[in-house]
Amino acid sequence: MSDLNALTRKLAALTAGDTVFEASGRVIFDGSDSAPVAAILREVDDTILERTLSFTAGKATINIIAAGRRMRGIESVSPHRDDPMIGQMLSREEPEGIQAVFDLLQDLCGDAQKMTVRSLAPEPFGNGGERGISALGLSDLWNIETEVVPKPPLEQFLTKNASVFSSLLHVRKGEVLSTSGDIAALQKIWSTQVQAFREAHNKTVKGEVDAQLICLDGAFDDGTSAAMALYEKDIALIAYEAEHFGTMQSSWQRIFA
Amino acid sequence: MVVDELDALRDKFKGCTAIAFADLSTQMILVTDSSSNLRREALDALCAEAALLLGAKGKPALAEKPSDLATVTSPTELRVFVRAATDPNDVLCCICGPSTDAAAFVANAGECLDRISSGD
Repeated sequence: MSDLNALTRKLAALTAGDTVFEASGRVIFDGSDSAPVAAILREVDDTILERTLSFTAGKATINIIAAGRRMRGIESVSPHRDDPMIGQMLSREEPEGIQAVFDLLQDLCGDAQKMTVRSLAPEPFGNGGERGISALGLSDLWNIETEVVPKPPLEQFLTKNASVFSSLLHVRKGEVLSTSGDIAALQKIWSTQVQAFREAHNKTVKGEVDAQLICLDGAFDDGTSAAMALYEKDIALIAYEAEHFGTMQSSWQRIFA
Repeated sequence: MVVDELDALRDKFKGCTAIAFADLSTQMILVTDSSSNLRREALDALCAEAALLLGAKGKPALAEKPSDLATVTSPTELRVFVRAATDPNDVLCCICGPSTDAAAFVANAGECLDRISSGD
């Protein structure tokens, strides 16, 4: 990535306001975009001073030494592995080693649905004359796209909370963009209630608000709750279990507030 | 007193700007917390929104049956509407800041309303 692109991405990340921490680690991948190894390279690219970047994905932990936006090597992994590339400095002179590191990372976290990172003090690694390989160089060598095009806010919300939705009907200007689960009840709401509800609601709030999440607890006969998310020309109808109310609210607040 | 319950709920949640106890059958705000400075028009609008979202006269706003809890979250505020378990016409209408812990607030608002509605 170019320096200008990297700067733009970092500024966007700083202003995104949706950073999530779990068990003291910052969530850098949640299955919704890119790939775990691409997320690792983005973190390496963000690292100027030498640090140990400790990545956790499921039961695997990968400690990588990074500095100057370059990956020096894998310092250690957990659970323990006997792999010759652990503890080895990355070098363009050893393409087999570079590929072996990629294979190891893929094996450890390639199927991860979530990954966190912690930035720790650096551990002694290699000798001073070796610098490793830049994140940009590795993304070329590994043929990985590290750029992430930010999704519109409502799509971010729908993606991040997909697992807590029982069903979803996402519509833009009358065109169905995406669905999940059994949408029969949501389709009925869409065709018979949404327009009248929005007109009535806009009267009470004296005008239309750009972004709203309206939650109605237990609004379906089976006890499931209903929600309507509005953003610009998009409307998402959602069925969800009441226990996920807090999760949805905090996610909405992180993205929109 | 009802106002003491409303004040206690408001004091517990930083960013909560108004709490009103209303009667859905007449769509009237009966009591507000003592610090609320909402104008009459704003209170009427809040009550009308409660009636719409909670389904006045048994008609659901959306989906299949009237809710006992409704929330509207915008970038600038969180509005919460809760119906009492003992009397379906007793409701709390609340306006909070956008960063309020919504799950904690609705739980506390429900308990507050039940105390008011049952006269405890």
